[in-house]
Amino acid sequence: MRPTLAILKSGRSAWKGPYFIPFQNLREALSNHEPIYTQARACTILPNFVGARFMVHNGKEYQPVLVTQDMVGHKLGEFSFTKKRFTYKATKK
Amino acid sequence: MVHILGINLPNGALVKRALTSIYGVGPHTARRLCARLQVHDQCKVSDLSPFQVTSLASFLSSPATAPPLPRFPLARLDYVPPPPSVSSKELMETFMENFKKKAVKNADPLKNLKIESELRREVRENIAHQRMIGSYVGRRHAMHLPVRGQNTQNNAKTAKKLNRLDRY
Repeated sequence: MRPTLAILKSGRSAWKGPYFIPFQNLREALSNHEPIYTQARACTILPNFVGARFMVHNGKEYQPVLVTQDMVGHKLGEFSFTKKRFTYKATKK
Repeated sequence: MVHILGINLPNGALVKRALTSIYGVGPHTARRLCARLQVHDQCKVSDLSPFQVTSLASFLSSPATAPPLPRFPLARLDYVPPPPSVSSKELMETFMENFKKKAVKNADPLKNLKIESELRREVRENIAHQRMIGSYVGRRHAMHLPVRGQNTQNNAKTAKKLNRLDRY
């Protein structure tokens, strides 16, 4: 049995490390507060992402995600919801 | 009837089954606890000695601060016994020294045991953490709906009962 990443509580094997995308424009985005547009919902939030603004794709549009310290270890997709809450709309007659 | 941490263990039940009525103790942990107290497999609660009951209660009240288990490993092939002139006190000291060195290797599996209110608080804190950072998991807890993508057209009874922010 291979050791798993106990800290991140993922089922991913420890020798692979966390899955993440090395964003090229992260440093610029942190300095001038520009959002990073991404479709990588499975990307793990690393400690150096803290303070960055992301626009994470939910399958239809990009939704804003502001990364805080507590989000480290979670995935970007956890903060960009893919489902709308059902609301009943009365049809016009 | 044996009372441990305010929980009644019925006399007629096997110890390994009765211990699972404690929140946070399943069959596996119950077997580990029995092994720790040297309670045999088919022992019933009524057969427990008062010493075993008190040591069980004292262990469960604070598993983290419990004294380490005495371990007496078998001698290796290359073991040379110390000369008889060495006093038993010195022998004990060298044993404890070696024991402390190996403490990391043979870590106590029940050291991080969390039960009852401590475990419930951990669960509550985890849900509160998810809610605070605004993740999907926290939102589903707040909506009393399943968290891991189960169907919600029918059923989802357990989630509707349990998934809430103030779970305990």
